[in-house]
Amino acid sequence: MSDEIAVGIDLGTSYSCVAAILDGTPQVLPNEWGERTHASVVSFLDDASVLVGNNAKKNIITNAENTVYSAKRLIGRFYFSDEVKKAQAVMPYRIVEGPNNSVRIGVRDRIFAVPEISALVLKEMKAIAETSLGREVKKAVVTCPAYFNDNQRQATKDAGRIAGLEVLRIINEPTAAALAYGFGKDISQRICVYDLGGGTFDVSILEIGKDVFEVLSTAGDTYLGGDDFDDRIMAWLADDFLKVHGLDLRQNKYCLQMLKEAGERAKIEVGRDGVAKIQVPGICRSPEGQVLDLVQTLQAEQFNRMVMDLVQRTFKVCDEALQSARLTAAEVDAVILVGGPTRLPIVRQSVRHYFQREPLTGIDPDEVVALGASIQAAALLDTGAAEAGQASYLLDVTPLSLRVATVGGYTERIIAKNTPIPIEKSKTFTTSRDGQDRVRIRVVQGESNRVEECELLGEFEFSDFRVGKRGDVQIEVTFEIDSNGIVNVSAMDLESRARATTTISLSSGLSEADIQTAIDKNAEVELAGHATA
Amino acid sequence: MDVSFLMEVERRSQELDALDYFQVLRIERGSSPAEIKSAYYRESRAFHPDRFAAVESVELRNRIGRIYRRINEAYTVLRDDVKRQKYLAEVSGPERERKLRFTEAEETQVRQEQKQKMEEQFGLTPNGRKFYAAALKEVEAQRWDPAERAIKSALMYEPQNARFKELLALVERSKPKADPFKIR
Repeated sequence: MSDEIAVGIDLGTSYSCVAAILDGTPQVLPNEWGERTHASVVSFLDDASVLVGNNAKKNIITNAENTVYSAKRLIGRFYFSDEVKKAQAVMPYRIVEGPNNSVRIGVRDRIFAVPEISALVLKEMKAIAETSLGREVKKAVVTCPAYFNDNQRQATKDAGRIAGLEVLRIINEPTAAALAYGFGKDISQRICVYDLGGGTFDVSILEIGKDVFEVLSTAGDTYLGGDDFDDRIMAWLADDFLKVHGLDLRQNKYCLQMLKEAGERAKIEVGRDGVAKIQVPGICRSPEGQVLDLVQTLQAEQFNRMVMDLVQRTFKVCDEALQSARLTAAEVDAVILVGGPTRLPIVRQSVRHYFQREPLTGIDPDEVVALGASIQAAALLDTGAAEAGQASYLLDVTPLSLRVATVGGYTERIIAKNTPIPIEKSKTFTTSRDGQDRVRIRVVQGESNRVEECELLGEFEFSDFRVGKRGDVQIEVTFEIDSNGIVNVSAMDLESRARATTTISLSSGLSEADIQTAIDKNAEVELAGHATA
Repeated sequence: MDVSFLMEVERRSQELDALDYFQVLRIERGSSPAEIKSAYYRESRAFHPDRFAAVESVELRNRIGRIYRRINEAYTVLRDDVKRQKYLAEVSGPERERKLRFTEAEETQVRQEQKQKMEEQFGLTPNGRKFYAAALKEVEAQRWDPAERAIKSALMYEPQNARFKELLALVERSKPKADPFKIR
C-alpha cells in the first residue's frame, strides 16, 4: 500500500464531511464525538481560538457577530453581486468590500477574505481526518457545485492551500456522487444526479459505461438551496408575529437568528413527521417589557404550498440539463438524490413525478459526495495506475460557456458549455494600431452575448511581443480549461512563437502574496474543542 | 512504465498537429456516433490525465495532457452530427491542412460574411431591394432616366450601400449628356 494518503472533502454551504479509502472501501471519517457531518460554521472565540462545526453552530445566536456561516454563498463573488447584497441583509457578521470589488468578512478586529473562512472549515476537516486516521493528512480532493464558475473554483482551491492542503483536484459534487454510486459496480446506465444542497442546486446527467463516468450535461442554480426553504418558513413566522404583536422580528439580528434556527428546525421536523411544532420562548420583548414567545404549528400541506415554486424551479434546471444531453426524463435509468433537503417528501414526490421513477434509496444524501471525493483522491495518488489503468475515469464538462468581450458590450463564445474538460482553444488577435505593444482581453463566463449579463473572470493583458504596423502582429491566445474547471489563458506571437507576458487585473481572486500570508495566519490559528493532539 | 507506451506518447505528441479528429480518436472517417463514443472511451482509458496523476515526470504529464485535450476536442466536434458533417467535408477537401482543427468562430464569421454579401447585393431594407431590382432592370434596357430615378430612390433608403452607389455612378456615366442650353 502506498505510504501517502489523501482524503475527500465535501465543503458544503451548511455542512461539510470528510472521507477516505480505508482497506479498499470509502468511509466517512467521524470526529471525536462520532459526528459524521459538521456544520460549516466558524466561530471566533474570546481567547483567539476558533471553533468550527456543530458546536460553533450554537454560537450563531450567542456570539452572532463573531460567527460566520454560509460563507460558501459568498466565495468567489464580487462585492456588487446580488448574492452579497442579500447576505448583508440577513447575516449577523460584517460583510465589507475589499480590493478589486472583492468580498471581505470582518470579525472582531480582523478582516478575512472568504477563502480564509472556508480554509478554517477545511482545517477542521483536516484535523478530524488526522485524529481519526492517526496520521498527518496533506492532500485532498475538494468538491464544489458543478455550476460553480471559474472565480468560485479558484477561490475554493485557494481555501485548500490556505488550510495547508495540497488540493489534488476540485471535483463537481454531482460527479462525485455518481462515482460513489457506480464505483466498482460494472454498470452501464444513464443516471441523473439531483443535488439540492444548502445553498446551491445542481443537476448532472451522466452516462456510466463500466469504469467510465461521462458527464453528458450539467446545469444548476447557485442561488437556490435548502436555506431558501428556511427563509420561506421564517418569512411566514415573522409576518404572522408582526400581525399578532405588531413587532417585526427581522429588525433585530438576534431575533433573526432565533427565527432562522426555528425555521430550519421546522423544515426538518415537517419533513420527517408531517407536522412541526415551533416554540421559541422569549424570542423578543415588547416595548412594554413583556417577554414574548413564538408558538406556531406548521402542517406539511401548508409547508408544501410555501416551497412549491422553489421545487418547480429545480425542474426547470432539470429540463435544461436533459435538453443539453439530448435525452428525455424517461430515458434516464436511475436518479440519485444528494443533499439534505432531498429528504423532504415534497422533493422526493416531485422528483418521482418528474422522472416517472422511484429515486434510488440506500444512498446517504449527506455523505455520498465526500465518499466519491475520497475515491477520486485515492485514484490520483495511485502510482500503479499509469501501468495497470485506473479503476474509474471521470469525464467531466465545463458548466458555463467561456467568452471574450468584444466591442460594443458584446461577447464572443470561445468554448461552449458542456464541453468535455480538459480542453483548449486558440484564437488569433491582431493589433489594431501601429506600434501597439499590448493586447488586452476581458474573459467572461456565461450564456449571454451581452458582457454585463456574464460573470467577469478577469482582464488579461499581454505584452512583450514584437511591435509592428497595425495588423502585422498576430497574437495567438490560448484558452485552457483544466480538469478542475479552472481557466488558464496564455498568449504567443504567432510569427516568432515567443510567449507573451501575461498580467491579470480586475480579478476578485487572491494574489500569490495574499495566499502566502493567509497560509501563515491559518497555521497560527488554534482550533477549539479538540483534545490537544 | 512500459517503453512502448512511452514511445507512443512521443510519436503521438509529435504528429498531433498533422492529425485530423478521426485519426486522433483512431477511427474510420465514416464512423457512427456509437463507434465515436466507444473510441472516445477507449482513448480516455489510455490517455486520461488522472491515470498519470501520480507519475513524477512533469514533462510526460504535460505531453499526455496535450494529447488528451486534443482527444476531447475531437470528441466535442465529432459527437455533434452537424459539426461532424461539416468537418468531414473540410478535411476531405483541398484545404485539409488548414482545416484539421475545427473552429466555430470561423463558422460564425463565414455566416456573417455571407449575410453581408447578400445584403449588399440586394439591400438591407425591403424598399431598397425593390428599387435596386427595378434600377437593374432599367439599366439592362438602357433606359437611363428611369434607372436613375430608381437607384436614387433605393439610395434614399440605404444611403451607405456601396453597391447602390456604384450603380448610380454607372448610370450617371452612361446617361447621354443632355445640353441644357440646346434648343431643340
